[in-house]
Amino acid sequence: MNKKVLSTMLTVCMGATILGGVCAAAEGEQKTVAIIPKIIGNPYFNAAEVGAKRAGEENGFEVIYSGPTDADATQQYNMVEDFIAQGVDAISIAPNDAAGLTPALKKAKEAGIAVMDWDSAAEKDVVDYSLSQVDLEELGVVIFKELFESIGKEEGTYAILTGGLEAENLNVWIEAGMKWAEENYPGMKLVTDKIPTNEKQQEAYSKTLDLMKAYPDLDGIVAGSTPAPVGAGQAIQELGLQDQVSIVGTGMPKDCKEYLMDGSVDVAVLWDIYREGYTAAYLAWMDANGEEIVDGTEIPGYGPIRVLEDGKSIIMGEPLLITAENVDEFDY
Amino acid sequence: MKEIKSFVKNNTKESLLFVVCVLGFILMSVLSPKAFLGAANLSSIMSQMPEFGIMALAMMIVVLTGGINLSLTYVASLSGISMAIVMSKLNENGEPAAQCILLAVLAGILIAVVCGLINGFLVAYIHVAPILATLGTQILFEGVGQNITRGSAISGFPEVFSKIGEIKIIGIPIPMMIFIGLAIITYFVYEKSPWGVRLHMLGSNIKAVEYSGINTKKMIIQVYIISGVVCWFASFVMMARYNSMKVDYGSSYMLQSILAVVMGGTSIAGGYGKVGGTILAVLTLQIISSGLNIFGLNRFFTDIIMGLLLILVLSLNYFYSQFSNKRLIEKEKN
Repeated sequence: MNKKVLSTMLTVCMGATILGGVCAAAEGEQKTVAIIPKIIGNPYFNAAEVGAKRAGEENGFEVIYSGPTDADATQQYNMVEDFIAQGVDAISIAPNDAAGLTPALKKAKEAGIAVMDWDSAAEKDVVDYSLSQVDLEELGVVIFKELFESIGKEEGTYAILTGGLEAENLNVWIEAGMKWAEENYPGMKLVTDKIPTNEKQQEAYSKTLDLMKAYPDLDGIVAGSTPAPVGAGQAIQELGLQDQVSIVGTGMPKDCKEYLMDGSVDVAVLWDIYREGYTAAYLAWMDANGEEIVDGTEIPGYGPIRVLEDGKSIIMGEPLLITAENVDEFDY
Repeated sequence: MKEIKSFVKNNTKESLLFVVCVLGFILMSVLSPKAFLGAANLSSIMSQMPEFGIMALAMMIVVLTGGINLSLTYVASLSGISMAIVMSKLNENGEPAAQCILLAVLAGILIAVVCGLINGFLVAYIHVAPILATLGTQILFEGVGQNITRGSAISGFPEVFSKIGEIKIIGIPIPMMIFIGLAIITYFVYEKSPWGVRLHMLGSNIKAVEYSGINTKKMIIQVYIISGVVCWFASFVMMARYNSMKVDYGSSYMLQSILAVVMGGTSIAGGYGKVGGTILAVLTLQIISSGLNIFGLNRFFTDIIMGLLLILVLSLNYFYSQFSNKRLIEKEKN
């Protein structure tokens, strides 16, 4: 390497550093909120992104919506670290695994960043607030109730599909539903442990096919995480078992429409996802501004949120039932 | 200058990579100057690099023999899971922290050695192609891990253990020191020791090595065991960082470590590879990944860029070798 090349490279380095100084000086006073979903490229989290970005536009703060390409806690961990380096004002995360992310979230808090979780809970003592879209126990009861009513028998068998096995939100409502089922429908038997599908429709599809091979008389499937009812519905439609097997789960209207229409999926239970994204971003911004979030705080354009007794857990709203009749009312 | 020139001549692939690395660093600094050049970013690079780097070193030794180790990440997670179970159970029973950790470490290394033995045995004695053997063991180890943990994470380690991820000696966190230590050891073992020379020969032409009287079967088993133990280091670092262990922690590192090894100049057919190259590749990939994250680029684009980068480096290597061959031929002509 001769002197010319060396000196050119050094000049470029100098230029970069000078440029850096100029850019730093030009930064504004706008707060930055980082929203990390469980996974990107999934219709549910894409809809949440729309809501979150809108919250930033309407209220004057910057929203960075960025997530891992797999429902992987380690990728999220790295992203939290990178956001700390970037110097954001708030991080709101839908953790794939609460325990694994705790050290990273602790670091964020130590760096003075407002930390919240949404969609699924992180460990309570590392977050300022925890947002659930609906009361999870209520959700579990509603889903299981709809499934058993749809099956229409007192005795039978059912299975449970879930997303990632560590996802707190899914585990809570599934537990609540199972408890309610034992008390109210003791004749309904769960055939096997809940089956993970890792937030991937293809996995839900193949696991459902396996399920039907192993338990050909299965009456119903509870499908948790939004890709699951679609994948399961696809499998049941292919096998032509719409009349035998009922599927109720947390499905997105557009994705489930085909299966709702032909009866593969009986009912989808969801909530307003745009509202969830908006609320997650808005509350994170409030937290970054140091405002306390209390019971009855108004979210612009949507209404009040509920805060539970512990002062940290926030409930956004009520579950929505989506059936073949009302599926066209939604645009996600 | 002469020394630099001859160094570059003898290590062209690695020097090219060095230039790419520096360019990458400059680019990221220009894109997000305040954030990328800040202390927090340096700290997060130093905390994300070790586990990836260690995995790349584990992959490298197998690739040097002309093979590949697809079961890498699950050897790491299985040995990590056994460590986690031992540590959390002993911790529950109130054993002193030092004992918990020591016994856990022994358990972890034991499992890593067993996994390596299985891999090595399949390749050396049953003559299964490495890619198929390790594909099979990957599924085997994952299945065992899933069965033991039922997919959930294991935590409950002694307080002291979680500190390991945070303590810094002269400003460098322990995981990074482990990586640097391993890098130095592997440099001496892979490149400067008689065994290392035999390793390169094995990758070059295994038949010739057999006929020279070296026990190739034994060497292959050693290679896979070493690969397994290096993976164990990676799982140790991961456990200290995430304070828990799960079957799929680090599963994305398999393809990434192949990327790093190949980008670092190691020949996929075996016989050539420099530890320095692999480490440079790991550094480059880490810089790009962190830089793009900070810049706010969609992660899908990051994947695309990593792929393009691999193609770029491989093409540069190819064109340079064509160019230098041409010059050699012309020199002979004159």
